Amino acid sequence: MKKTKSFWKRLVLIVVVLVVVIGVVGWWHLFRKVPVTFASDVDHFKYGSIGMEDTGGMPYWLWLVLPRIFPEKLPGPGGYTSLGIVWEEGQEMPVGFTKTTIGFPRVGVNCAACHTTSVRTTPTDKPELILGGPAHHFDIQGYQRFLIACAKDPNFTADRIMKELQYVYNFSLFEKALYRYVIIPFTKRGLLEQDKQFAWMNLRPDWGPGRTDMNPFKLMVLKLEDDRSVGNTDMMAIWNERKHEGFLRHTDGLDPMLIEASISAALATGATPKTVNVPAVERVNNWLLDLPSPKYPFPVDAKLAAAGKLIFDRDCATCHAFGSARVGKLIPLAEIGTDPNRANHWTKQAAEEFNRQMDEYSWGFDHFQGSTGGYVALALDGVWARAPYLHNGSVPTLQDLLTPPESRPKTFYRGNDVYDPIGVGFVTSAPSRGGRDFSKFDTALPGNSNAGHTTGTALPPKDKASLIEYLKTF
Amino acid sequence: MRHWKTIRNILLLLAATSATPAYYAWPYVANGVVDFERIDDHFKYGSIGSEPANGIPYWIWKALPELFADKLPGKGYASLGFIQEEGQDRPVGFSNRRVLIDRVSLNCGVCHTGSVRETAGAAPRIIAGMPANTMDLAGYTRFLMDCAKDERFTVDQMMEAIEKVGGKLGFIDRLIYRYAAIPQTKTELLARAPRLKFLDRQPDWGPGRVDTFNPYKALQFNFPMDKLPDEEIIGTVDLPSIWQQRQREGMQLHWDGDNSSVEERNKSAALGAGVTPATIDLPRIKRIEDWLLDVTPPAYPFPIDPALAAQGEPVYRESCANCHGESGRKLTGMYVGKVVPVAEIGTDRHRLDSYTYELLENQNTLYAGYPWRFKQFRKTNGYANMPLDGLWLRAPYLHNGSVPTLRDLLNAPENRPKAFYRGNDVLDRENMGFVSTVSELDGRRFFRFDTSLPGNSSAGHTYGITLKPAEKNALIEFLKTF
Repeated sequence: MKKTKSFWKRLVLIVVVLVVVIGVVGWWHLFRKVPVTFASDVDHFKYGSIGMEDTGGMPYWLWLVLPRIFPEKLPGPGGYTSLGIVWEEGQEMPVGFTKTTIGFPRVGVNCAACHTTSVRTTPTDKPELILGGPAHHFDIQGYQRFLIACAKDPNFTADRIMKELQYVYNFSLFEKALYRYVIIPFTKRGLLEQDKQFAWMNLRPDWGPGRTDMNPFKLMVLKLEDDRSVGNTDMMAIWNERKHEGFLRHTDGLDPMLIEASISAALATGATPKTVNVPAVERVNNWLLDLPSPKYPFPVDAKLAAAGKLIFDRDCATCHAFGSARVGKLIPLAEIGTDPNRANHWTKQAAEEFNRQMDEYSWGFDHFQGSTGGYVALALDGVWARAPYLHNGSVPTLQDLLTPPESRPKTFYRGNDVYDPIGVGFVTSAPSRGGRDFSKFDTALPGNSNAGHTTGTALPPKDKASLIEYLKTF
Repeated sequence: MRHWKTIRNILLLLAATSATPAYYAWPYVANGVVDFERIDDHFKYGSIGSEPANGIPYWIWKALPELFADKLPGKGYASLGFIQEEGQDRPVGFSNRRVLIDRVSLNCGVCHTGSVRETAGAAPRIIAGMPANTMDLAGYTRFLMDCAKDERFTVDQMMEAIEKVGGKLGFIDRLIYRYAAIPQTKTELLARAPRLKFLDRQPDWGPGRVDTFNPYKALQFNFPMDKLPDEEIIGTVDLPSIWQQRQREGMQLHWDGDNSSVEERNKSAALGAGVTPATIDLPRIKRIEDWLLDVTPPAYPFPIDPALAAQGEPVYRESCANCHGESGRKLTGMYVGKVVPVAEIGTDRHRLDSYTYELLENQNTLYAGYPWRFKQFRKTNGYANMPLDGLWLRAPYLHNGSVPTLRDLLNAPENRPKAFYRGNDVLDRENMGFVSTVSELDGRRFFRFDTSLPGNSSAGHTYGITLKPAEKNALIEFLKTF
């Protein structure tokens, strides 16, 4: 009797100790958070986490080797760069990509992924980066689809991936086991799950580089029924936020509050309401308040520009000058005549649900509105770097925008960061560069119409030239 | 007490029964590498860690030239221009390391050890640190791929060939070769072949040249090479000398000056030889690096006319020193190690364009997880001015090795040889360089270099071409002192 008792006692003790040890070790290698902070706001913007890695992060080592194992699933040579992702010289991570340890190193994206513009003068130049500008070259949907396509490939196996990893780094036996038996299978499962969640995307025109949509919120966060709406819209510039105080946010004016727009954008990167790092987002916001728009990097004809100012003041300023009557406000569809899809895709129901469901968090949402029925007249600071134009990025250059809609390019290529100082915009004629296929933009597809915004299209050629010259100075 | 005895006996029994297997297993478990006492032996034959990922099992490597003699231009690896020293088991640049079994791979010496002969009949002098001038690296790569593709590459025929070349494999080795080493080697070479298919889009490298960055794109990152445009698919250059590295720290290194860190450049070159970030043998590379800091090239072996050289010195000071350094021992100068834009230097631009910003971005991930992760690569717009130490051993000239002799370089581009022969190690005393006008010597056929092929242009670098003939003579004499 006595023996049995002590045996059970011991057994319980052993089990308890084992559970505790396994728990601690497991927690350490899977969930332990090692905060990374950057001294400078700029680095924080480019590389700092905003809280999406817990649920949306990719295991770093896996992320590193996927382009080497599955290069055929990318638009061309160059690994992630073929998706328009940009690395600075010497940096471990691309701009807009984070590396943080939550148990193990994970890769995430942050604000800079969609809000950093890459520009170069010739195809072989080093690209210059403009922080806060739209990432017209980055195909975030393509990135997502690449990861999913890898997971769906029969070669996405622990054996194949470990074979690649063995020569990348000297992993400990424990790390190898962790990757083989936990991280790789779980990541595969997660990506296959995402494949189902993102199935709705495949029923709509591609975003292509530099564009995004609010439907992920509707369908995946708010779990509303799929109404087949298309909400594709260009990524926006986010500099000079102080001057934009009171502007309606999002191209279709969904919310007047910077903080709500920012947190919703953070949620769009994959952060959940529980994991989003609000102080990190606020730090970015504070820095954006006075982030200046970029200067035009090519020569400007001052005389011509001065002539253009008169035209701007006469024909454009009411809607596009800071401090003017209509800037930052909605222009109804009936008046502006641009593609209607985006303006109606974020329904009143979606807005109400968003405000309601996020209410329980300290930051809450109160100001989202739906079915705005129009687009915001934007200020034009740094407009030269914000091509292609219109809310859906359907018009390649300023020159094209000042052309009557029927004469604007019907199709063109997005993703090239080589600048076109003649048309003022990015080069859109080349289908590829360095073997990387650019994304063909077809204005005939739903949400892609380049109609509307006919202001200025009837100007005499001389006036158009001077107006464009003046716009370079913005 | 009795228990303890039992336990002891069991342990003894276990020890006794495992001793025999342990004795036989030990050589396979105790992976290791031969170290050389002399630094130049270490440089020429020592391992830098390229064997685990890229090594070929020793006996297969030995047997390949026997089994596939028809795929080589002559007898053995030496027929590809590799330097075979008397009494050595392998040519210069081939290392050996045991990873379960002995494996052969490449080291620094393969590209940076050359051979020189004063006259056609003289014995070759092997010089460490000079550009390899006779070996055909692409030829070697192709040979391996071709062997793997051949139907004779079977276990039975390979085992037979191994025996023929003197391989007396023990029982365990026999099992390993038969069931693992031979089939695996074939599979791995075949898997590599498609990645290197881009070689067919390039004019032949010929001896003494290498494409640094396109193989990098293919092997390190698995870029789909067939999609790369023609403008960047050719990056073939002359191999450089590697003496006096201390003075080179901070200079823009590589022909296009894409990296200013000697250490990083070395770790990059090691990748080219076949190491991986996980297998690189840092202590053994460090030994080489330390030696290279101050090792100097040998002196010019023929008499130098002091009066003529003295006349050449002011010409050099006037026309060359700012870009190419004070002398062969003092490498300083206002523009030494700095990039001159390609539009200005006017030399062939293929090599510059083969190094892309997109490649640089991917290089940022090499050695990830280690403090020495690459951080110093930069995209430039031209070619870097090289110091001229040991210049007499560095022909042919220009980054792509398109100008056979120094005298030719001092001629206007249109008067430089349109075609010439590379791979001869006999010195051309008259013109400073190697003999480049004969196609064959003692049964060895040399490589015809055609400057009209893409990447091979001998245009540009027109400095000194308007000097008077006497000045050119004097300048060449002075440069012999470097």
